[in-house]
Order: sequence, then C-alpha cells, then structure tokens
Amino acid sequence: MECIKEKKIKGFSSKKSGNWKKTLKIFFKHKIGVIGFIGVMIVFMVAILAPYIAEPAEGYGNAEDILLSPSPQHIFGTDSMGLDIFSEVVWGARSSIKVGFIAVIVSIFIGVPIGLVSGYFKGPISTVAMGITDIFLTIPVLPLMIIIAAVVGNGINKVAVVIGLFSWPSLARITKAATLEVSNMQYIEAAKSLGIRTRRILIKHVLVNASAPILVNLTLIIATSILTESGLSFLGLGDPITWSWGRILQNAHRSGAFVSAWWFSLFPSLAIMFFVISFNFLGMGIREALNPKLRER
Amino acid sequence: MPGDPTTMLIDPRMTEEARLRLLQDFGLDKPLTVQYFLYLKHLVHGDLGMSFIYKQPVSKIIMSRLPWTLILMIASQIITMFIGIPLGIYSGYKKGSIFDQIVNAITILGVSIFVPWLSISLLYLFGYKIPIFPIGGAFTPGLGGKELYVDIIKHMVLPVLTLTLINLANYVLYSRASIVDIMSEDYIRTARSKGMKERRTIWKHAARNAMIPTVTVAGMLFGSMVGGAVLTETVYAYPGVGRMIYDAVGQQDFPVLQGAFIVLAFSVIMMNIIADIVCAYLDPRIKLE
Repeated sequence: MECIKEKKIKGFSSKKSGNWKKTLKIFFKHKIGVIGFIGVMIVFMVAILAPYIAEPAEGYGNAEDILLSPSPQHIFGTDSMGLDIFSEVVWGARSSIKVGFIAVIVSIFIGVPIGLVSGYFKGPISTVAMGITDIFLTIPVLPLMIIIAAVVGNGINKVAVVIGLFSWPSLARITKAATLEVSNMQYIEAAKSLGIRTRRILIKHVLVNASAPILVNLTLIIATSILTESGLSFLGLGDPITWSWGRILQNAHRSGAFVSAWWFSLFPSLAIMFFVISFNFLGMGIREALNPKLRER
Repeated sequence: MPGDPTTMLIDPRMTEEARLRLLQDFGLDKPLTVQYFLYLKHLVHGDLGMSFIYKQPVSKIIMSRLPWTLILMIASQIITMFIGIPLGIYSGYKKGSIFDQIVNAITILGVSIFVPWLSISLLYLFGYKIPIFPIGGAFTPGLGGKELYVDIIKHMVLPVLTLTLINLANYVLYSRASIVDIMSEDYIRTARSKGMKERRTIWKHAARNAMIPTVTVAGMLFGSMVGGAVLTETVYAYPGVGRMIYDAVGQQDFPVLQGAFIVLAFSVIMMNIIADIVCAYLDPRIKLE
C-alpha cells in the first residue's frame, strides 16, 4: 500500500515538472504576458538598485530648487520642497513592491484555505465561509480600510497588512470555483480510496491542480493592492517617512502645485499605472499559458 | 493618524472636572466593550452618536452629505450603463476585430487607472487650462432658482465624468464576456435561421440576456465604486460622504467615520437589492420571493 501511494505521487510530480517547461514555453510565446513580465522586472530592478540610481530625497531641498520643470539635472523635475521627483519615484518603487507582496501573502493565507474548505467540503462550514466571503465582497472596502488604517497607524507594513486583510475575498471565490471542479475528478476519488489524509489530498492534489486560476488572481490582487496603497497614501494614510508614489501625489495635491507643475503629479501616476498594467498583462499571459484549451495547439 | 481622539476635543487648559464631564457626555469614560454595546443599542434606534468636532448628531451630518454622494453616483451609474453595455455588446459581437481590440486595450487602461490622477488631470485641463468648469465644491453660494440648478450641474460634470471613466471598464468587460458566450447559444441560431434581421437578433435577444450578469455584477461592484467616489470627492472638494470621511480622518472624528461606514454599507446593500429587482425584470425566469 505504502509503495503504491509513493509511486503514484512520484509519477504525478515528475509529469508536472515537464508540464511547467511547456507552460513557460507557451507563456513566452504570448506577447502581452512577456511585456508584462518585462515591466514587472523593470520595476523590481529599479527597486533593488535604487541606491545606485538616485540619492534618497530627504529633508528639505534648496529654496532655488522649488518646482523646477524637468531638465537634464532633474529629469522628472522637482517638487514643492525642492526635492528631486525622479529620486522619489525610484525609492517609491520599493514601497509599492513591498505593499503588493505583503498584501498578497496575507490574502493567500486567508483566501486559499477558505476557498479550499468551502469548495471541497459540503455542509454548514462551506455555507458560512462563502457567506463571509460574500459580505466582504460587497461591503465598501475602501472606507473600511481608511477607518482601520486611521486606527492602527501608518507604517508601510501595517497599511500593507490592512490591504491584505480585505483583498482575499476574490481569491477565496476563485479558489472555491477551481476546487469544486477539481474535487469531482476521478483522481481525487482515487486518492481518497487510497486512504490518503484529507489535508494531503487538499494540498498535494486539489491545490496543485487548481493553481492556474489562483495564480492569475494573485497578479490581479497585487495590482489592486498597489492602487489601493497609492489611494490610501494619497488620502494621507500612508507612511509619512517612506516615499511612495501615492505620497508624492498627495504632496502635489496638498500643496496645490499640481496646477502650475504638471510634472509633479504626472510622473508618480505614470509609475503607478506602468506597474499596475504590467501586472495585469502578466496575469493575462499566465492565464493564456495555463489555459488547457490553448495548450493543445 | 492614531492617537487618543479625546485630545482633539479637550483643551489642555481645561480643569480636570470639565475634562471628566466632557468624557462622560460622549460616553468615553466607560470600558470599550460597554461603549461598543451602547453603540449597538443606540444604532438600532437610528442614533449614530455625536460628532467630536461638530458637536452635532452624526446622523444629521451624514444626511446633509449623503444626497450629494448619491446624486453623483446615480448620475455616473446611469451614464456608464448607457455607454458601457452597448459598447461591450458591440465589441463582443465583433470579437477579434480592430474595434474590439481597441476597446480591450482601453478597458485594461481603465482598470489600471489611478483615480486621484484622473481627477487631478481633468481638474487641471478643464478647471485651469480651459476654465469651463468650476474647480471644486458643489454649488456657488448666493445663487437661487434656475441659476442654482445650472450651477449644481456644472459642478457635477467633472466628478461624474471621473466616476464614469473609472467604472466604464467593468461594464464593458462583463457585457462583452457575456455576449461572447450568448452568441453561441441555440436561441441565437434559431433567431437567425428564422430570418430575423441581425440587428434585431443582437439587441432584442442577445443584449437582454447579456445584461443580466452585467447588472448583477454592477450591484456587487457598487461597494468598490463607493471607494472611487471617496477619492474623487476628495480631489474635487465635493461635499459628499467621501470628502467627509477624508476630513473626519484628519480630525480623528471617529463617530463620524463609523457612521459613514454604516450608512455606506447600508446603501450598498440597497443597491444590491435594486440590482436583483432589475434582474428579475430582465429575466422572467428569476422569481422574487
């Protein structure tokens, strides 16, 4: 019995790794996905190499540097405190990546178990779990996040966790739908009749096979949490010490300088949208690459 | 932003006695759990508490702000529906065409757009560069009669335009997706084979069915639309609930924040119910119980 079990699982996983190579191949054939991947990588590189790209913008700049339009010296211009906007945007990439990933990890830890449980088991647990998910899906999340961010305070990590706490419902729904589909498959029945523990079935068999739509949803969650973080920073609920793209925009709005200095609001916004669109493209690419209907070709 | 909200309402020069009396008036002297249950008890009576800053009932403050938010949201919702659904249906019908690809590209831009930037850009373009619209607020004080209505509409244009542009993508996305499914249904083939004009097939048979999932989704998306309204109202200094939330955060006016959230959640639920009723009207197979 032991030996059959192991053999099955081994055969299963080796086939899977072959699949991954094929998946990557299809992914890189798809233009939009590759553009998204490159875009995400660019932002990552900028964030990692920030100390080599630009001096951190700190304190107050010189009075004669206030609101200079873009020039070779300050390619994105300067802000109302005389600081270099290019440097702020470069260092802001770090916050966006941090927030995106903390938020997505928090939502994986909440959304995936809820989705798995409510898709795999039937009965009251599933109903309650889905009910909670539906409530979270419909309530106006941004006002709630504003309130909670106002109460817990404004460190970048706290804001990221708060965003994560409200980003999981879509993930739970997608996981549930995928789990429902997978758990009707014969190999799950086979695994059950082999006497494999439920937890192992859920993680090794159900989750692995339901991973395609989940992965796509993760990229979307990262994209929306970056937008949300920028929105919260724009409202003054972000981290006042760390640069983030939303905070630059908040400075532009608060100081009223966005009227005379178009570069003040344009560049951080372009950075936000570049990153978000890249993640959306990446998601589209992953969806195409993992779509079984498209793989046959 | 964290901190003791009482520091906002208590003057450091106040005597200890006066301070305690003030805390007592707002019920802040009791333990948190007691405060919570008292809040719930008052809530069922429709009492949302007192604002720390305005020293007025929260419900009264919210009720003076809510109509402005509702008027913005309803106006943009109607415009979005009338543009978004036909656009989605047409591009789904012409799937793969250049028109469809352009619509798709714009949709992706639409879901990735950063709301404050869109608002600031529109404000910059139409408020300063070409000053045809007012730069903020909801009306010019001192006007009356017909002039006032025109003035209110003028103030609404930019916020409504912003909200419409943000929400358009979702409508296009969902109506397009459902029309693509519907076009391969049997009843479309039947309609075509009995010689019905193509135009009538699309708008009479396919469109009506495509609207059902779109309306359901619109009801569910209303919650996130409220979030967009908060950001939009903040930029345009529009005196709605969204701007009120923004101001209340700065003033640590927690009763107002709580009340605003409860009222917004309630209006989202109402919108969901309305969406369900519309669905039942569109699809006679759905029965309301």
